[in-house]
Amino acid sequence: MAASDLPHDTALEHLRIIRTLMERASIYRAVSATAALCGGVIGLAVAAWGIMRPPSPQVFLAAWIGVLCVSGVANLFLLMRESQEKGQPFITDGLRMALRAVVPPLLTGGVLGVSLIAFRQQMELAALVWILCYGLALQGTVSFAPRSIIHLARAFLIAGQVLTVLWLWKGWPGMVSPPVALASLYMGLTFGLFHIIYGVAVFLSQPRELVASSSPR
Amino acid sequence: MIDFSQLDRVIHEKSRLSIMTLLASRSPWSFQELKSELSMSDGNLITHLRTLTKEGYVRELKTVANDSGRPMTQYEITGAGSSAFRAYVKVLEAIVQQSRPK
Repeated sequence: MAASDLPHDTALEHLRIIRTLMERASIYRAVSATAALCGGVIGLAVAAWGIMRPPSPQVFLAAWIGVLCVSGVANLFLLMRESQEKGQPFITDGLRMALRAVVPPLLTGGVLGVSLIAFRQQMELAALVWILCYGLALQGTVSFAPRSIIHLARAFLIAGQVLTVLWLWKGWPGMVSPPVALASLYMGLTFGLFHIIYGVAVFLSQPRELVASSSPR
Repeated sequence: MIDFSQLDRVIHEKSRLSIMTLLASRSPWSFQELKSELSMSDGNLITHLRTLTKEGYVRELKTVANDSGRPMTQYEITGAGSSAFRAYVKVLEAIVQQSRPK
């Protein structure tokens, strides 16, 4: 095609292709692997303590809010450092997209979970709500997240659904009591273990480049 | 007045434009990823990638798959490719800008 024949519509169509593909290709990792690993280890420790020495509902709530704050601050710090190392701004379209996707389910889960513990002493249900809402928050980023986040989202959603059914059906597992110990078990299995597996998997999946062959112009 | 001769004919073809757009967004992409994102056949994709490689816009990387340890081919955009792509988009924007009703 002669370039001089290029009509306005073709230019628009090509710009549309570029925009659509660029949006689809953009990848943003909202959960730093290092922060996930740290948060997972702390989460697992807090869960083990909650199972062995079951605390009061208030202490349980305070402990997990603490884990959330430490992990959240570490995540923000590491994402910020990563942006600096790449010479990119911290506030990017990717971060905005991620916030738009994760904030509503996280807020909903937070309010529901805290209310269930504060007003009803329903620790197990609160833990299940947190697991499911966190899974939904991660699921909201699947259109621009790397595969590891998608797997993490699925793991939280599947675990949350299975544990909910088991808990409503048989109060599973019956040998774990009181309720705060069972809630700690749920939290340790998901927020602790899943984040550790995610962090390790991301580190192990760094690409190993052998040869770079180029065809100079 | 827009100088239409500035439009890069190598990038102007729709499939090659799509490949260049993906590679300009992030690099590298494996052959399979490009194929699935663009829904192109193996033969079609390899032909366009060869054209872009020959032009010096794209380079091939030989890597090893993480899971199987097997050799894998990935593609990334070169410096020349990036400049050509940016110039191409600039001309397109100029065309649209000029024909916009005032």
